[in-house]
Amino acid sequence: MLSGLIILCGFYLLGEFVATLFQWPIPGSILGMLLLFVALVGWGLFAKTRLISAEPTTQAGALHQTAKQLLPYLPLFIVPASVGILNYGELLQREGIALLCILVVSLFVGIPVCGWIMQRLIQMKEARHD
Amino acid sequence: MTDSLLQSPVPMGLQWSAAWDSVINSGYLGLFITLLSFQLGLKLFALSKRNPLLHPVLVSVLATCAVLLSLNISFAQYYQGAQFLSLLLGPVIVALAVPLYENLKALRQYWLPFLLANVLGGAATIGIAVALSHTFGLSTETTASMWTKSITTAFAIELAPELGGIAAVAAAIVMVTGIVGAVIGPWLFRLTGIEHSAAQGTALGICAHAVGTARALELGSQQGAFAALSMSVMGILCAFVLPWLV
Repeated sequence: MLSGLIILCGFYLLGEFVATLFQWPIPGSILGMLLLFVALVGWGLFAKTRLISAEPTTQAGALHQTAKQLLPYLPLFIVPASVGILNYGELLQREGIALLCILVVSLFVGIPVCGWIMQRLIQMKEARHD
Repeated sequence: MTDSLLQSPVPMGLQWSAAWDSVINSGYLGLFITLLSFQLGLKLFALSKRNPLLHPVLVSVLATCAVLLSLNISFAQYYQGAQFLSLLLGPVIVALAVPLYENLKALRQYWLPFLLANVLGGAATIGIAVALSHTFGLSTETTASMWTKSITTAFAIELAPELGGIAAVAAAIVMVTGIVGAVIGPWLFRLTGIEHSAAQGTALGICAHAVGTARALELGSQQGAFAALSMSVMGILCAFVLPWLV
């Protein structure tokens, strides 16, 4: 658990560092996630060429374990910021109904469009293979 | 003798109001309310057989708001204690790299359709929402928050301020989108003949993020993997593209 947390905090800080270094307006956490992902892919490839196990080495094993224990609580960690809506009651009264309508409309279009693009492209790909 | 007793700075008897004040002013109160309401949310979610309308975050946020309003506690006061939980959000977002990496195998045959669906489909659903926000004349902050509607709340909270939006408004937008999307998604699939499990998962992940991913897992494991993948990929795409676009 502890070494997993150290890796996570380390990559978070690395993300903040890189984002600030290049003056990118990207949240450090998201950049840190991407960097850790790249590191995992890199480690997986490295492990493959060296014929060693891609899973554990103690460090990677600890990381997987920590992620498994921590991620179910992700929803809890977004509650405090979401409660901030308390300060925007007036904004919601003014624009809430319009917001809701817009979101529902964009879902009614978005879900079929996303699904259709994916399904159509898969069918085209499979037709080409046959 | 009696005089000095009456004037004593520490009066006798139980100090109800002072005791109550110490609780209200304690930094731990925000943490306590959040943990308690989230536990309540988890219980209700399990009791309702995982009904998206009773999503733990929604229940927890509404219950916390109700408690704060009834006890007359300001958000700033609440946040003093609760921000400890927000602090953990950063490393936990980083941890999302692990399931992203583990789900990558599912992508092997479909990576190009998947990427195109995310870029084009994501652009469509976000584009419509933002265009409509302009048409309805919504305020600049709300419109800016609307850009983050297709990424999971954790990402939206972090990204919305970079775009000139409001974290809490973005969180509300994402939550409503996720819940409505998870409810109407399977019904829309039947209506429009979207049967491929990878397509269903991708659509739910792009449009309904975390709540949609939970719903996709109930439809099947491939749906779940693709939903989780598109949730992460949309988050990364938006984080990298939107700050330069908005």
